[in-house]
Amino acid sequence: MKRLWLALAAAIFIILPSCDSAVVPTGEQDGPVELTIWHDKEEDVAAVLQEALDRLQPGVAVRLERKSGLTEALKLVGNNPGAAPDLYFFAHDKMGVYAEMGILAPITGFVDAEDLNGFLPMTLEAVTYKGAIYQLPIYFETLLFMYNRALMNDSQVPATTEDLYQFMASGAGGRFGFIEQHSTAYYSAGWIHGFGGGIVADDGTPLLNTPETIAALEYHLKFVKRMPGEGEYATVNTLFREGRAASTIGGPWLIPAVRQSGIDLGLAKMPAVAETGLPLAPYSGVQGLHVLRVAAENPAKSAAVKEVLALLLNPNLGIAMAKASGCAPALLTSYDDDEVKNDEMVMLMRETAESAVPMPNIPEMDVMWNVVGNLLADVNMRGRDVSEAAADAQKQAEALILAMR
Amino acid sequence: MGKRRYGALYAWLALAPALALIGLIVVFPILYTGYISLTNMNIYHWFTFRIIGLRNYINALFVFDSGFLSALGVTALWTALNMVFQLTVAFVMASLLNIEKLRYRKVYKTLLMFPWAMPGYVSILLWRNGMFNSQFGLLNQWMERLGLEPVRWLSGDVSAFLSSMFVNLWLALPFMILIMDGALQSVDRSYYESAVIEGAGWFKRSVSLTIPAIKPIIAPAVVITLFTTFKQFDVIYLLTRQAGARTGANLHTVLTYAYENAFVTNNYGFSSAVSMILFFLLIGFSLTTKLRARRAAQ
Amino acid sequence: MNKTAKRAGLLLLNVFFIAVCFGVLVPILYAFSVSLNAQNSILGTDFSFIPRALTLENYRAVLFDRPVLLWLGNTVTLALSSVCIAMLVAVPGAYSLSRLRFKGRKSVFNGLILLYSFPAILSMFAIYRLLSPIGLINTKAGLIIVYVGTMAVFGLLNLKGYFDSVPVEIEEAAQIDGANGLQTVMLILLPLAKPALIVTGMMVLIYVWNEYIYAITFMTGADNYTLAAGLYSLQATEMSGSWPVFAAASIVVSLPILAVFFATQRFMVSGLTAGGVKG
Repeated sequence: MKRLWLALAAAIFIILPSCDSAVVPTGEQDGPVELTIWHDKEEDVAAVLQEALDRLQPGVAVRLERKSGLTEALKLVGNNPGAAPDLYFFAHDKMGVYAEMGILAPITGFVDAEDLNGFLPMTLEAVTYKGAIYQLPIYFETLLFMYNRALMNDSQVPATTEDLYQFMASGAGGRFGFIEQHSTAYYSAGWIHGFGGGIVADDGTPLLNTPETIAALEYHLKFVKRMPGEGEYATVNTLFREGRAASTIGGPWLIPAVRQSGIDLGLAKMPAVAETGLPLAPYSGVQGLHVLRVAAENPAKSAAVKEVLALLLNPNLGIAMAKASGCAPALLTSYDDDEVKNDEMVMLMRETAESAVPMPNIPEMDVMWNVVGNLLADVNMRGRDVSEAAADAQKQAEALILAMR
Repeated sequence: MGKRRYGALYAWLALAPALALIGLIVVFPILYTGYISLTNMNIYHWFTFRIIGLRNYINALFVFDSGFLSALGVTALWTALNMVFQLTVAFVMASLLNIEKLRYRKVYKTLLMFPWAMPGYVSILLWRNGMFNSQFGLLNQWMERLGLEPVRWLSGDVSAFLSSMFVNLWLALPFMILIMDGALQSVDRSYYESAVIEGAGWFKRSVSLTIPAIKPIIAPAVVITLFTTFKQFDVIYLLTRQAGARTGANLHTVLTYAYENAFVTNNYGFSSAVSMILFFLLIGFSLTTKLRARRAAQ
Repeated sequence: MNKTAKRAGLLLLNVFFIAVCFGVLVPILYAFSVSLNAQNSILGTDFSFIPRALTLENYRAVLFDRPVLLWLGNTVTLALSSVCIAMLVAVPGAYSLSRLRFKGRKSVFNGLILLYSFPAILSMFAIYRLLSPIGLINTKAGLIIVYVGTMAVFGLLNLKGYFDSVPVEIEEAAQIDGANGLQTVMLILLPLAKPALIVTGMMVLIYVWNEYIYAITFMTGADNYTLAAGLYSLQATEMSGSWPVFAAASIVVSLPILAVFFATQRFMVSGLTAGGVKG
């Protein structure tokens, strides 16, 4: 017993002094201006960006720091100069929340307006909130139609959703002709847009009980009935990767794993909804750098921020990212590169970008994910009447949006 | 008299460091939440909020609607069932583990602690994707091998409740077994020693001797577990309601309900008001049960 | 009862425990099997506990491609410090609650229990507001304070329950023999309450070991992660993560805890012996 106590006491004396080893960086020193960028991207993407940023040495030293739970952490530290990052690298859809909180600075203070003309229009639309631009886009992602050539040959690729349904019903592709994450808002948005509906309007009004949205959910239901009951990603991706489903809708992030499982993967345009002629138009996410106000308003840092953003206007960064991990660049000139031009997946995303709808960046969207998820579960899994469930969901969404204020 | 006053001084001095830390990390957040609940702190006034009185509480009352009441019912049932199973199973297991001749008890005990040695969300994901998945989960692979129809474990309300309860027991039992084991080690061995193999005698002895002896020792841990079970969020949320992984079961505890109907709004003042109401509800609940228990005892 | 019946009973008991352990371990064996599987699939539709294509690649990826040793170091520092400090503050406090009679004792005890009624989902904010001005965000000391503060309630209550069960007569006897207060606690009470100390210490240790929410929110940069936070960042989500690597990491994270648990088992015996001092 005594020895135990001695050991404990010794342990404390050894441990305590080593405790405060994590250092909080401060500005105001000689040498390079230090900037911190938070991100939560895969290593390939981060490495490309870090390499590009290292070219700003020795004047500017940029540290790309991986931060799990980035979105929550920003709410805590966003206006604290000692703890907040100077920039963060993330999708565009949270910018409304942060802009309203007052922790973001528009990037137009650092970039010439005409330089922005070089970006794909869809990406610019995505990063504009209430007339101000809060993100400098780097790349974007959208969902793609993917098929397993062993189960669906190129001539069977559906042009319309009815073709797709026929394929599913005929059993030509095996047990599951098509699977998707049918009860997730992000994935169903494509169907809703295909009917001309939407989840939330630009002014923050939920659109769940509109005739278009209800029609989309009703039509979608017959597809869901021919898919596995569970619609979460592990089920869908595993079934597709194991060759037990002929086709799916998935993000570019899925592709490396699918190819690794030895599947002869085909990529195609989204089928069009027969009734409306509109293609299934998935949400797109635009990834890029946001500037925090604490950095923008710090005279010691703003010049360095400008240099960092200027770097992103160079098409080579997008090209390098496309090569490293198949990202679709946001800058139009990046597509002049031959290797990018020959990348089937990147070019298909570029094409899909014409119809894709940027995820809404308004704060109201934050509560919609959850409400729409419940609505889809009600309709697809519990068999509730679509109009009734949609009316309830609309009411819940309105109540939650009201409660945001 | 003087000695007594010094005694009180010593007592408070000994308690002071612990109470100071608890004050900072547990009590302060409660006070702060109470303060924020009186302000209009939401994303539109994130750093510039001001006191707006009780308006958040008035709005918060809408959260406590019929949906909340049914969630409250589910939570009460959930808590009662979990506690009954936890206490019984843990007591039986701990008693069996303390049979003197059981040579490999350390190995068994260690293995039984495994579910506790992983972060909770890891185990829950393992259960959801590895065990319960209707397409390739282990349970359904076994069902198939037995020639039975695959089951969607997490999609019906009742089966999702039972599955969640099972996972919760799996997660919580190691702790309870450890507590019971520690308590049994601390009371006189003659209470339970080698009594188990004697069968019926064991049950009688447990009820009349062992349980009364360990009751005061395990009481704090049991009460704490009671509260945490009531406030359980992760198991039910991650198994059935996680964004992108809803199973179709409509199962709510008070906390998942409050989460989906208040916390997602990013309105911190409003969410704080909901938290405070939940807090007072739970305090009221525990005080009345305590009173009732005391009255029943008399 | 005769010898053979006893032996049969014991055999039965061992069979029972082996079965129970296997049952409990099924999800973990599943994770273990996935972690050894050479195919990067969450699972085939034809699962077996022994993977067909065996590989240690996932363990290599966990141990060498990530700063796992660094994370382990961070976790060990945090866990040891938290356990030590928690015990140092909880033991005297619990002793005071259990042995000393003073005004307000009951209210302190009841108040501590009621603290558990608070749904702590929003506590993070307040704690941030508290630690940030004194520069404790992004430091281990800050996390230690959070962890010890969180677990101190449990420590006080749990230890008090055990201390209550140790008969006061033993201490009184020691005091008559001339031992002072501190000596009585150190030499008499604590050895008798060894199981309590171990249970409480284990509880704190496991809490800190598995805690990731504060660790990922308050700490920045992969080098400052704890094991649980690192594991969280490795999570097998749709966009990133490979299940086998995640499974391997989960196993790696839990093994040290089990080793500690196994090692402390031999202290889990109270100094109280059968029929010794009761009554």
